[in-house]
Amino acid sequence: MNKNTIPVGPFHPLLEEAEYFSLVVDGETVVDIDMDIGWMHRGHEFISEQKTFTQSIYLVERICGICSTSHPLACVHAIEDVDNTEIPLRARYIRTLIGELERIHSHLLWLGLAGHFIGYDTLWMWSWKYREPVLQMFELISGNRNHYNMLRVGGVSRDVNPEKIPGMTDVLDMLDKKLTMIAKAANDDPVLRSRLKGIGVLTHNDAVDYCATGPTSRASGVPADVRTSEDIDAYSLVDFDVIVLENGDVYDKLVVRVLEMLESTKICRQCLEKLKEVKGPILNNVKNISAGEGIGRYEAPRGEVFHYVRTDGTNRPIRHKVRAPSFVNIPTYAASCVGLPIADVLITTASVDPCYCCTERSLKVVNKNKQPYQIDLLKLSREKTERLRRETYGR
Amino acid sequence: MDKVKEFIEVMGDKIFKKIEKKGRLYFEVDNENLHAVVEYLFHEMGCRLSTATAMEMYHGIEVLYHFSHDESGQYFCPRMVMTDLKNPKMKSITPIVKGAEWIEREMFEFWGIEFEGHPRPERLLSREHPEKLDKPLRFRRNS
Repeated sequence: MNKNTIPVGPFHPLLEEAEYFSLVVDGETVVDIDMDIGWMHRGHEFISEQKTFTQSIYLVERICGICSTSHPLACVHAIEDVDNTEIPLRARYIRTLIGELERIHSHLLWLGLAGHFIGYDTLWMWSWKYREPVLQMFELISGNRNHYNMLRVGGVSRDVNPEKIPGMTDVLDMLDKKLTMIAKAANDDPVLRSRLKGIGVLTHNDAVDYCATGPTSRASGVPADVRTSEDIDAYSLVDFDVIVLENGDVYDKLVVRVLEMLESTKICRQCLEKLKEVKGPILNNVKNISAGEGIGRYEAPRGEVFHYVRTDGTNRPIRHKVRAPSFVNIPTYAASCVGLPIADVLITTASVDPCYCCTERSLKVVNKNKQPYQIDLLKLSREKTERLRRETYGR
Repeated sequence: MDKVKEFIEVMGDKIFKKIEKKGRLYFEVDNENLHAVVEYLFHEMGCRLSTATAMEMYHGIEVLYHFSHDESGQYFCPRMVMTDLKNPKMKSITPIVKGAEWIEREMFEFWGIEFEGHPRPERLLSREHPEKLDKPLRFRRNS
């Protein structure tokens, strides 16, 4: 038995973000995997504790470029949970609408990347082509393609113009057809099946043990979905199904996401219909947040986003905890990647749709003089080269 | 609500300082009973660990675990309070809940809390950092 370690990352051409895996391999087979995060230093929790509640919403929107509604939604749910604030009905439908549109665009983005990773670039081009109309819908609703800035404590900041609803319904009709086409392609295509079926299996027990969330756990037969378990926004007022599959392989994770997009268009259509009928305010003016603690969560495209807020009666939190879904989904690699050939590891790691920017936390390092610590990378690199040279040549 | 009543009936003598809100139950638990409460929540009730939050309060360091009961949408939050600020120590729940490994490593790194029985008591973010970092990174009283 000759075991070798293959380092992947922290900066690797195929990975979008900085992460580091060390794969212990025996021949072609991976026998152990170790993950190392901490290559991106964020400070959102710390900064948020120095901001007012409204400023915090702007801040958490920028934790992730893809889940730019999920984080603020979970954040406002947490702040509203302190006092059990009532939300106007119209605002609840608007929140649900943008949340579901975000799910469609995020899943299409992942689908494209997954296609690209397995060398199936047609899927990539299809997916990203049909993601564009969704971003244009966001522009119609909020004025922005990303970072919509729609949320406030007690409601939403902008109303949906009723004149634009028919146009948006047309886009949803088109999306439905195209998504059905992709779903059929995924089902019939022998390339996708043979490449993804039975690869990177996360068993039901492992998904429960690692506390995985979102499509990662639902593909392994765990029927957990925040949208149904908690009475948030307008999800109790619309009709939709939670997609749960049993096998836990990469193929099932793909199918769960494709079918979820079809459910999302169903929810969006119901919300748009309701927005034609339901009139009334969109913002419940919240003056004060009393002292206490609140938990807010939302089913982001990748899984449950969790925010915890501790307040002391002032206008800013004394503790704000953010937990992105990737924080619990990334450790499942230890269960799903072991036993695979090296070539299958990349698509298995990509199948949980990891977001390392969301996962990283603050890191503040000062030197002995309490000055911010800066590393001279060039000096470090020269020292390392010198050390390796000495170790190799002995001089 | 039934789940909350059921939990309090079984574990009522092991928990104290309960705060009950709509869909949330916060309670304190001491180090001896932590494993019994977590085992009941995770294995008997089928709760999922969302995450844990460490806080630096006036009276000490708090660690608040967040267990979600997905069928009912109820949150159960056991709270551990450590008044020994110089050497905060508590039992690790990772041997029971595998999903707690990373968050306990993060709390060890940021607040210097020692989790007894943790299978891998290493830093999570700065393990490969070129400079040796000895102090907890977010502990204000130290700096």
